[in-house]
Amino acid sequence: MNAISVNSLQKEYQVFNRKPGLWGSLGSVFWREWNKVKAVDSISFQIGEGELVGFLGANGAGKTTTLKILSGLLTPTSGQVEVLGFKPWRREREFQKRISLVMGQRTQLWWEIPAQETFRLNQAVYGLSDKQYQESLGELVEMLELKDYLAVPVKKLSLGQRMRAELAAALLHRPKILLLDEPTLGLDVVMQKKVREFILEYNKKWRASILLTSHNMDDLTALCPRVLILEKGKLIYDGNLESLIRRYAENKIIKIVFEGDVSASKIAALGGTFDSQKTTMLVSVPRADVSKKAAFLLSSFPVADLTIEEPSVDEIVRKIFSKT
Amino acid sequence: MKKYWRAYLISLQETLQRRSSLVMDRLGGIAVMLSLYYFWKTLLLGRTSFLGYSYSQMLTYVLGMNILRSFALTGRGWELVGEISSGKISSYLVRPLSYHGYALALDLSQKTVHLFAAFFEIGALLIFFHPPFYWPKSILSLFLFAGALLTASLLFFFLEFIVSSLAFWTSESGGPLFFFELFIQFAAGAFFPLDVLPRFLQKVLSLSPFPYLVFLPINIYLGRVGEGRAFQDLLISFVWTAVFGATSVYVWRKGLLSYSAEGG
Repeated sequence: MNAISVNSLQKEYQVFNRKPGLWGSLGSVFWREWNKVKAVDSISFQIGEGELVGFLGANGAGKTTTLKILSGLLTPTSGQVEVLGFKPWRREREFQKRISLVMGQRTQLWWEIPAQETFRLNQAVYGLSDKQYQESLGELVEMLELKDYLAVPVKKLSLGQRMRAELAAALLHRPKILLLDEPTLGLDVVMQKKVREFILEYNKKWRASILLTSHNMDDLTALCPRVLILEKGKLIYDGNLESLIRRYAENKIIKIVFEGDVSASKIAALGGTFDSQKTTMLVSVPRADVSKKAAFLLSSFPVADLTIEEPSVDEIVRKIFSKT
Repeated sequence: MKKYWRAYLISLQETLQRRSSLVMDRLGGIAVMLSLYYFWKTLLLGRTSFLGYSYSQMLTYVLGMNILRSFALTGRGWELVGEISSGKISSYLVRPLSYHGYALALDLSQKTVHLFAAFFEIGALLIFFHPPFYWPKSILSLFLFAGALLTASLLFFFLEFIVSSLAFWTSESGGPLFFFELFIQFAAGAFFPLDVLPRFLQKVLSLSPFPYLVFLPINIYLGRVGEGRAFQDLLISFVWTAVFGATSVYVWRKGLLSYSAEGG
């Protein structure tokens, strides 16, 4: 059985047109023109038990709307949605005990007091026995390295520590479905890696189905063999991530920091661009030529630092959209 | 029930943690209490009674207002408005939890802290100023007062919940809530006893639920309402509470429907 099954899902919002100027604002007190906006337009997909799937798309493409529908926060305008055999928008207790939604920018932790208090609250909310709670908490604390932060007021935690505590609070009841909206947003590289490792471990250990949105390419390459791409509410790609990258990201990016001054004309010949701080140069190179080009750069220029990176998801997505 | 008890405890901790807001809040209350205390003291100078209140009854009314304000007229309206407009309620809606029960638990925990603070303040005032204080003539009227106090706080909770729920439909629900807070203090008798008002206004207000929030509970305490009448008032107060309780559930459901249709 599929853990998540979505067929011809549609979600429309009503938005009212704001008229410009004071008269427009005054007018809108008495009459408003409503517009229908399709946030999700007839999408279908299935996600199996234990699958890890990435959700891609520009801002406003409908990713978060879909996650909200799957978690039961929004009622679909039309179409069929089943999560673990439940209709999410009915918000049945049994359904809610088996899912979790984590939004990177919103916290469910109580701000002024230690995170362990929120954990205790969730123990009661999800009806976990003391034994279940201790077992689950012990495991999460170890996996997320939270031991030293349990008794610290949440407001004193760093963003990375808070995100890990957030994950612990969301997973105490061991949900079978985990919906993650930008789980690594704002975290430093080390913390991103820790969070990713944890997500993978949780997925393996409990065979939980996980659907996550991210703008971070590393999240997707490390976690999601399969991606779904949305554009303006439509599902335009559902498949393997690697073949997607091969197809659209023909180039890699070489980042170079020069040592001392290099003559402007020589740099211009490389065809790269400088970043906004004017310290790092970015050169886009076809995949096949990367090693040759890197060797050439290292031998012909005084290079302080050189890294080779995948283009950002945004860039790939932009490319896909420009070709569709 | 256990989840709501946990919510009560956690909110108690958080309220106590926010010491400076609590102290500011209480200082505001003390300022209101003291100014009304001196106002009535001056007005009653050289009189034995006013509008049927004896000197001690009137000053006790002022002190009683502090209790009622702290227990019945405090709530989490602004938090609720904030949680609805910022979309934070989403994090409750995906959990197996009744938001009404949760909000009530949080509300009661705040009221608990404020009630203790109010008793402490009144105690201090009694010790330092020795005002004539009215003690009820019978234990029964004390019980009736306690009942009226509890009902009043539930009634206020539901009324405020309804007004705050307007945030589901408008981003400007702060306006109605602000008006509600001021109006209710006037209409409930939290500035002055309602007997001060012209007769027809008293008549109009007596048909509304507002006097049951402050005016009637204190009058029960002061023994100005006979015990038989007090029972009757308590019953009416129950009915109002039930009516607004049901309304708040209805409005909340409607709000959630619009929330889940429009997103948040």
